[in-house]
Amino acid sequence: MNKSFVSSVPLPESSLWDTMGKKERSLLFFDLEITARCNNNCRHCYINIPAGDRDAMKRELSLDEIDEIADEAVQLGALWCLITGGEPLLREDFGDIYLSLKRKGLLVSIFTNATLVTEEHISLLRKYPPRVVEVSVYGATRDTYERVTRRRGSYLAFTRGLNLLSESGVYVRLKAMALRSNANELPEIARFCRQRTMDYFRFDPVLHLRLDGNQARNEEIRSERLSPEKIVELERGDPDRFRTLKKECDELIDPRFSQIKCNHLFNCGAGRWSFTLSYDGMLHLCSSLCHPSCVYDLRKGSLTDAWNNFVPRVLDMKSDRKEFLERCHVCPLTNLCLWCPAHAYLEKGELDAHVEYFCKVAHSRASALGYNRILSVDGKE
Amino acid sequence: MNTEVKMDSIYAPSEDVVVREIEGEVIIVPLVAGVGNMEDEIFTLNETGRAILAKLDGKSRLKDVLESLSEEFESPAGEIDRDVIGFVGELFKRNILVEASEG
Ligand code: SF4
Ligand code: SF4
Repeated sequence: MNKSFVSSVPLPESSLWDTMGKKERSLLFFDLEITARCNNNCRHCYINIPAGDRDAMKRELSLDEIDEIADEAVQLGALWCLITGGEPLLREDFGDIYLSLKRKGLLVSIFTNATLVTEEHISLLRKYPPRVVEVSVYGATRDTYERVTRRRGSYLAFTRGLNLLSESGVYVRLKAMALRSNANELPEIARFCRQRTMDYFRFDPVLHLRLDGNQARNEEIRSERLSPEKIVELERGDPDRFRTLKKECDELIDPRFSQIKCNHLFNCGAGRWSFTLSYDGMLHLCSSLCHPSCVYDLRKGSLTDAWNNFVPRVLDMKSDRKEFLERCHVCPLTNLCLWCPAHAYLEKGELDAHVEYFCKVAHSRASALGYNRILSVDGKE
Repeated sequence: MNTEVKMDSIYAPSEDVVVREIEGEVIIVPLVAGVGNMEDEIFTLNETGRAILAKLDGKSRLKDVLESLSEEFESPAGEIDRDVIGFVGELFKRNILVEASEG
């Protein structure tokens, strides 16, 4: 008899990955946007609806609906999930939702702005620990933070909530978005984060457009976008990030990518290992994919049907557009680029459109990393 | 807390964990703090561990579990005892198993 009957492993090291890796698709996790409402109103936000919006509240999935969908997800094999928003703590039944997911044997992570954290949340999270709580940091000073969130008093609420979380021993990670309104403070934001989380810090410098296509808000987001040069400058200024980017790209920038023969639209992980459930019950293959022919209303069907029948049909979508087939589809810089069909749709209204801004960012990154040789593969910029 | 494994005791998975089966593997997911050491720690059982756990159902005494496992694995009485007791002890210590009250 083998003497080691039981082994304890952190999730990333589980042997399950070997089993899963052999499959083409298998549900591992899902993102659950329990609300799109938020008490902040960040300039760059791709999703927020005002906290008190009654229509949005009515459309939100109820605890029972979430429970039912999560049961199906667990039956399909999901092992972890992410509760996100908007601001998930705005929901009064947050605790019930959280516990019901945990009780199903899911590992649960939470994204929050931390401004609404209470002692009750802390006792819940201490007793039933999440995988991680990720908090966004919009500024290291009140002025900058509130320039981004456009809400007075939010900085104080944020630091209070963050302190509660940090003191509780719950595993917290911090992250930042870099936009024009806070870019000059990024070194301070990095310091702020590293001081509080034993050196962990990551930032995202490429802003996404709105999921609801709101034009005025999209204009605002565009005006907050950093220039490709500024993005590269910030990334260079963060040696850890630059090193990771370089390491990943040594492995990932792959001229063989340009040998792809099929004309499928999706070459990413969307719908292969995960899905996103939006606040109003729509299943998305990933959080950004909003094209009407790529979403499934779970209030009118079931997750099992969506996952087994609908998602494969979306993954089978193709494009014959010459520009797509010759450029983004075979681009060796794809790992440095935010381009994907979902973002192409948000930017241009078409899943196979080219996006100049992303392209410029990717090329600036590539040349900063010394991949000039590969740049000529695309040859059009 | 007494962590000694007793032959007359009845053991069952605790309510502090969720036992799941994914892709034919048995996975134990901690629910409350203190079962695992890390937030994303899960426990996996090999086939033998799985056979043992299936018998720790909150109804049978450990000595009866041992007997039926010996039969199942066609090993002479007593031979597997040490391994099984070690396994139960480890899970008990980690709060994955609890002593169930009789009946
Ligand atoms: S805190 Fe997050 S969800 Fe809320 S407005 Fe800001 S970016 Fe959007
Ligand atoms: S936008 Fe440019 S860099 Fe990005 S995938 Fe398309 S061609 Fe490549």
